[in-house]
Amino acid sequence: MNKDLEHQFVTNLEQNQNIAHKICRIYTNDQESHNDLFQEITIQLWKAYPKFRGDSKFSTWMYRVALNTAITLYRKKKKSIRTQDYDSVHFKIKTEAYDDTAEQHLKLMYDAIKQLNDIDKALVFLYLEDKNYAEISETLGITEVNARVKMNRVKTKLQNIINP
Amino acid sequence: MDNLDLLKKDWKKQEKSIPQLSYDQIYKLIWKRSSSIVKWIFFISIIEFGLGAVLNIFIADDEYWAKMEEYNLTLFLIVTYVVSYLITFYFIYKFYKNYKAINATDNAAVLMKTILKVRKTVKYYIGFILISSGFVFIFSMIFILRNHVLSAEEVTSDMSFDWKQWLLFIGGTLLALAVILGVIWLIYTLVYGILLRRLHRNYKELKKLEM
Repeated sequence: MNKDLEHQFVTNLEQNQNIAHKICRIYTNDQESHNDLFQEITIQLWKAYPKFRGDSKFSTWMYRVALNTAITLYRKKKKSIRTQDYDSVHFKIKTEAYDDTAEQHLKLMYDAIKQLNDIDKALVFLYLEDKNYAEISETLGITEVNARVKMNRVKTKLQNIINP
Repeated sequence: MDNLDLLKKDWKKQEKSIPQLSYDQIYKLIWKRSSSIVKWIFFISIIEFGLGAVLNIFIADDEYWAKMEEYNLTLFLIVTYVVSYLITFYFIYKFYKNYKAINATDNAAVLMKTILKVRKTVKYYIGFILISSGFVFIFSMIFILRNHVLSAEEVTSDMSFDWKQWLLFIGGTLLALAVILGVIWLIYTLVYGILLRRLHRNYKELKKLEM
């Protein structure tokens, strides 16, 4: 058994675990599913690790594998997401009754992101992570032009959710 | 779009408040998936035992026992209950031990061994359920039949079977037994089979990593 590989992997993941936590925040709504997704990401990363040859940075590789895991898992669980959508719509109505303070506005934004589909969430996530379009396109395996077009559509979608 | 950029700022701020896992916690996560499957095997065995016990209590009222008394089945039933409960408890204990063992492991080789053990235990358990169901069915039949023969001869000899009727009777009984065992087998392979298949997949993945 390759103890060195294991140690290397866990150390790398420990240093970059924020990436996985942030993806979990975008894709899940409660602590339990956050933990589930985090574990699934860890397992998928570990499974793919022997193929990671260090051509790119660990974090770059991790963005790709972790996002793929989240997207795949999200597709499997579409049913449960639908019920969450109802909750967040409900939540949105409630928050709108409050003053439109900056914090409320941020909440609305996060809420709107939760209603996006799996790929759109990935786009927003990478955008929030301050990735440029070259990096976004590489991570998601699409062309740069496509990434730009998609990102613009997502922005419109978000705007429409917030101001219907 | 300033909306998203506002969010970006907040996103960066919140980065500091993200909870961090330690090296050991992450290390354990790599091996944790099998543990939750084995935990479910343990829980299902308990639920199943509880369901069986509740069902027994509901079915076995005074009328039931009176009827069994009539067939001379009381002693046989009590012995069967005690023995099957003891064996079921043994299996639940085994499932629990497996769960504990898999939970404490952070070593792939030991984990693989435990997974194999879990699969074996579940297979034995399903075997036990099938054999005991068949056993109870056949013995109940024999007891009822003996009772029937004993009381029938007293009343009238017309109640006795000729060889054709016997053949039909035994054939029918065996068919019923086969159907019952088939259904039980189906239910168990469905409930535990899904979990076992997942465990097997984990096992294969571990094996790949080992090589």
